Amino acid sequence: MSDTSDGLPQDLPEGASKRLAELEHGLFTSDLSVNEFLLIKEVGFHPVGFVMGSSIYHTGIQTRKWGQSQELTKLTEAMYSARELAMTRMEEEALELGADGVVGVRLDVNYYEWGKDAAEFIAVGTAVKAENGVSHRNKLGKPFTSDLSGQDFWTLMQTGHIPQGLVMGTCVYHIAHRGLGATLGSAGQNVELPNFTQALYEARELAMTRMQDEATELGASGIVGVRLEEKSHQWGSHTIEFLSLGTAVVKTSDEVTLPRPTTIISLDN
Amino acid sequence: MTGPEPLGPDAGADSSDPKADMRSAADALAGPARNAGGARTTSDLSIDEELVLHSIGWEPVELVSGVSIHAVPVGVWNWGQGEIGYASAAYARSFAAAVDRLHQACTHAGGHGVVGVHVEWAVERHHIEVTLVGTAVRPVGSTGIGTDPVFVSDLSGRDFALLHTAGWAPLGLAAGASFVYAPRRSMGATMKQSGQNVELTNFTEAMYAAREAAMERMQAAALALGGTGVVEVKVTEGPMEFARHAVGFTAYGTVVRLVADEHRHVGARMVLPLDDAQVGFDAASLRGG
Amino acid sequence: MTVPAEPAGDLPEAAVRRFADGAFTSGLTVPDFAACLQMGLEPVGFTQGYCVMQWQWYGMPQMGGGFGYQWGGVRGYSETFNCPHGMVSQEHRAWGQNYEQSWLEDAWASGFSTAYERMLDEAGAAGAHGIVGVVDTSAPLADMGVVEFRVQGTAVRVVDGPAPADGRPWSTYLAGQRLAKLVEAGYAPVSIAATVASVGLWANCVTQYQTEGTAGMFRTGNPGEEIVQTAKAHTAARRIATERIRGQLGPDSLHGASLRTTHRAQGEGDATIEAVLRGNRVRRFKDFDPMPAPRPTVRLL
Repeated sequence: MSDTSDGLPQDLPEGASKRLAELEHGLFTSDLSVNEFLLIKEVGFHPVGFVMGSSIYHTGIQTRKWGQSQELTKLTEAMYSARELAMTRMEEEALELGADGVVGVRLDVNYYEWGKDAAEFIAVGTAVKAENGVSHRNKLGKPFTSDLSGQDFWTLMQTGHIPQGLVMGTCVYHIAHRGLGATLGSAGQNVELPNFTQALYEARELAMTRMQDEATELGASGIVGVRLEEKSHQWGSHTIEFLSLGTAVVKTSDEVTLPRPTTIISLDN
Repeated sequence: MTGPEPLGPDAGADSSDPKADMRSAADALAGPARNAGGARTTSDLSIDEELVLHSIGWEPVELVSGVSIHAVPVGVWNWGQGEIGYASAAYARSFAAAVDRLHQACTHAGGHGVVGVHVEWAVERHHIEVTLVGTAVRPVGSTGIGTDPVFVSDLSGRDFALLHTAGWAPLGLAAGASFVYAPRRSMGATMKQSGQNVELTNFTEAMYAAREAAMERMQAAALALGGTGVVEVKVTEGPMEFARHAVGFTAYGTVVRLVADEHRHVGARMVLPLDDAQVGFDAASLRGG
Repeated sequence: MTVPAEPAGDLPEAAVRRFADGAFTSGLTVPDFAACLQMGLEPVGFTQGYCVMQWQWYGMPQMGGGFGYQWGGVRGYSETFNCPHGMVSQEHRAWGQNYEQSWLEDAWASGFSTAYERMLDEAGAAGAHGIVGVVDTSAPLADMGVVEFRVQGTAVRVVDGPAPADGRPWSTYLAGQRLAKLVEAGYAPVSIAATVASVGLWANCVTQYQTEGTAGMFRTGNPGEEIVQTAKAHTAARRIATERIRGQLGPDSLHGASLRTTHRAQGEGDATIEAVLRGNRVRRFKDFDPMPAPRPTVRLL
């Protein structure tokens, strides 16, 4: 992470400076739908600008040991660092705009044919700012990030909570190939494969634990919208990245009562 | 959450009688056509959109379109360095010319703006084309051209009405694009130790910069229209089908401005539907078109 | 169920038998069926009309005389694009032309209207007042050079309603809730409307080079110039389609239209551009009551 001195953070491209300057002068851009735009305004926030961060990272594979199921720690670090870099740059852009947070964050991975063993990690979202001028940044003084849609953001605010940050945990696990003897031994039977079970279980738990650690750092009271993604990227089927993502939230000091929802039966298409 | 509030029999009911309406309609068709008095309109808005438009006092006028296609000279896509200027220029010009033609068609039809524009663009090896189709609309009963400049937007009739109620007006479409070559240095050459996990700053810089450039051009177009913001920005990126080492980034959205004194809150209510969302029959889907 | 007296027109005999049976068939989904009943529309049966036409996509009328149908030769839109260079060579295209391929448009109109009329005949023979949920397609059949036009829909009767004036049922692409809202808004469905505009593009040298990206000393102008001939052909196709439909509307309006354009490249910069415009011809039968501004809601699920 680079420190922001006066002027643009060092690792943002030059083209960003002109764009962010225009946004600071009052133009806003957002990929929010009109519905989301109006709902964000309802809870007292205004979109400031579309922010993005990206990083092309080498995702080379270290030597694989055939007989052992294990975490490939180097790759885990790589996947984590790549996404962190992308997210950090996006946050820096938001910081530059004086935003309180970023909503609708999307994390994407692009693979280009001309970059074998490399992938581009992208984080994009819409930076928002509270209209009453009160800072809504998170415990670390940074703009909060969240992958909540405008509708979910509105609903969350109705419950008296505010996002703190998009938290993630990742674990790249290699599943051992089974020896020939073991394969023949269980041929024709439907049995649990304890090695595999153990391996996948451990990998998922590692990913989720790391995600929870991030939430604790932010002083969150909980995580919403948790999902677990599994990708093999370009490594073949025995190496899987487990990515756990969620939005850490904290209860705000204001007491907000949830309005009673009306039940309806929708009659149209 | 506590239990649901029971809906009374008249909750939200309007006083229409669908059977009587249908019989009146059939009666009208059985006789000679009475002159409606108004101009014949053509529109590609659905009935829902038309009703929402009417609820804010606007009506459809005519189906309009604008098309433009610009050539990209041969050799442009061969591997080079940095930005592919010709392609970016061709995209920008095609978009601007298509919007211009849409404006003209709208003005010719007496509309004050175009809503629900379907934006289609294609980048091929030798040309870039942009096609815009939408419905020109105007306030009910107005004749001639309004005092404000004609706007075009890809907002649906519904979104247009929502923004209008909140005090915002669309100004036009803003688009920006940038096409770049992937950086030249091969992967193998840069990575002496392929076990290292490290960021490839060259590549990052190139892609990141291109993305920012596309967004910045869109913003510049928005500012040129005098807008305060751009909503529903649609971003696409990816390598060209016909030249995988060339990557294109595009962004476009509707430029808006606050025209009321301040933003009017819409007062949204939370509801809990008791059915799963169903999509009814749509003839167009059977046609496969 | 009314029993038709005798087969109308050129319908197959099986169609007559099918409608004589008691139960109706319909292409309606359950929600649309419910909406129809709510409007007082009783389904009578599923109706269809077909027509198979000989078809060729390209060919100027003075070349290859037997291609397609050529009624009246080239009429309508035509625009010439001259080559800006001097005398060059035999292969250099000294002029190009955009022209309306009226014979194709007439053939399409003939195929479509024949199929449509047959569907109307079936419905009329069954005592229907109107046809909802119409689907029309045209697709190549078997080998090249043959296209089948299909128009299908669900025939309905208006309960306690009048038969249509000239015995021709009204029709609409809409069904179900959309039709109900259309009627409630004060529009009566008159008929479906569809037309095709076909513009042939015979490229001149500039267009050819721009389209093919051919380098050489004949590349004119600056890089990134508009391909004027193609842009004009596209614009013309759309304009022809919309103007033709407007001419067919009478005092009525076109609702829920869709305008689709296809571009068929034929090599060396030549192309055929086809615009298909479909919509519902509707007539205002009562003054419009604008509905109050709807209440925005956020779903919890």
